[in-house]
Amino acid sequence: MKALLAVDGLNKRFGGLQAVKDVSFALEPGSITGVLGPNGAGKTTLFNLLTGFMTADTGKVEFDDEPLLGLAPYRIVNRGLARTFQLTRPFVGMSVLENVEVACFAPRVRHEGHARARAHAMLEHVGLAPKAASLVDVLPYGDLRRLEIARALATRPKLLLLDEPFAGLGSSEIQPLADLIRELHRKEGLTILIIEHKLRELMQLAHEVIAMDFGEVVATGVPAEIVRHPRVVEAYIGKAEIGESGGALGAA
Amino acid sequence: MSEHRTDWLGALVVLVALALVPAILGSSYITGIMTVALCFAMWAASWDFMSGLTGRENFGHSLFIGAGAYTAGFLNVNFGASPWWSLAASPLVAVAFSLVIGFPTLRLRGPYFALAMLSGAAVMQSLTIIFSEYTGGQDGLNGLFPFFDSELTQYYLTLFFLAATVTTLRLVANSPWGTILRAIRGDEASCQAAGINVTFYKIASLMISAAFAGLGGALYAHYQLQVGPDLFAVILSINIIIMVYVGGMGSIYGPVGGAILLILLTEALRAFSEYRLWVYTLILMLILFFLPQGLVAPLWRRLRTIAQ
Repeated sequence: MKALLAVDGLNKRFGGLQAVKDVSFALEPGSITGVLGPNGAGKTTLFNLLTGFMTADTGKVEFDDEPLLGLAPYRIVNRGLARTFQLTRPFVGMSVLENVEVACFAPRVRHEGHARARAHAMLEHVGLAPKAASLVDVLPYGDLRRLEIARALATRPKLLLLDEPFAGLGSSEIQPLADLIRELHRKEGLTILIIEHKLRELMQLAHEVIAMDFGEVVATGVPAEIVRHPRVVEAYIGKAEIGESGGALGAA
Repeated sequence: MSEHRTDWLGALVVLVALALVPAILGSSYITGIMTVALCFAMWAASWDFMSGLTGRENFGHSLFIGAGAYTAGFLNVNFGASPWWSLAASPLVAVAFSLVIGFPTLRLRGPYFALAMLSGAAVMQSLTIIFSEYTGGQDGLNGLFPFFDSELTQYYLTLFFLAATVTTLRLVANSPWGTILRAIRGDEASCQAAGINVTFYKIASLMISAAFAGLGGALYAHYQLQVGPDLFAVILSINIIIMVYVGGMGSIYGPVGGAILLILLTEALRAFSEYRLWVYTLILMLILFFLPQGLVAPLWRRLRTIAQ
């Protein structure tokens, strides 16, 4: 199948630190792919490069057969590649509904019906409709995550990039959010790329996992293989007795 | 009754009250002060539209005011053009200035825009001195024509344009544009992630802000019949920002009230002669300390709730 996103030889250096090193991968339409790696592995930098929030030093990114690098972030969104942020970034001082409405004004979706009605539909989608009128300033963290997703969905993306959607969530909030992501994938046929360092959640969701460490892709494969991959184990718990660690990681 | 309907109704009441001020008080002294106050109200409202909504502080609004006023002065004094031409030319020139400052600096984050506005106004003030053979230097340009010989008609003209300004700015602020501008205030990166061209909206809102500031500058110039370097002064910009804060930032109508209130306060404090500035500053500090949300906008909201 033709790849929706093709990343080829992506590099980004911050002074002496090679944050992203020669990263290449491709995403098939309709897939859920995870990006796994310890803190500082370059996952968020990779997201920032793909979404135009940072400029790559070298490399090529093709989305829907069109080059993406060098475009401003809002243009990339309007091509159909939306993202969420690891630390949620709501529009403070505005209502939950208005927060999503802003995304309905993006050129890509501006003419797809009444913005307020669309925003409301998105909130229903993520289960936030009852709180549409509340100020985002008083929203609990779990709801802010859903809000970020609703805002991204409002731009009607083909590919959704989720940056650690489970970070900071309590155990009771994780499962419903995972269910939501799975449902988005199933119902909308959305292609999803998730950064996550919580292995269990990623294992559940992803069809394929890209493991990163020190800015490099160290392994690619189905989740079950990846958690037993020596480089992944090494990155997570150091060089240890590899025999036992696969099981230990699965329960991490 | 919906919030908007109550707002428009309230605005109508205020407009009628303002229209009746000269009739009730019947003094040309008050009419004159009120004409100046309405010009300041236009400047405060136009400042609020860009900076109050997007949160990008503009420390040199006097750049647009001075540009508008001097355009009126040049056309009128040097070319003998009718004052009515100023109403079109002054906003255009002010918009041109907004592009010169906004285009390079509003693409950047950080303090560049605020600093560029501040220094842009300062540079223009110096240029009026350096090119004094054209600008009249310290004395400025004198002998502009008024729009009308009657002070009262002049007042109503200013009131008409203030009403038009506030109506336009409020309509835009209540439209998707306003939502986007307030989102920019909330988080620029998120706006980008929502597919919004943040730079475009910031520059466009600055252009709108400049147009109305320039229009106010022209009205002021043809009322005072004189323009001078002080119209580019930093203190003018600062005073406008204070008026916005006293009125209540981001509401547009609040700064209008703030401007009228503070101009009247300045006049009322004349009795204190040399202590005037002390008393004025003390009152300001008390207002800002006890009412960080401003005076006019919160009061308006309270009244709106009661009315409903």
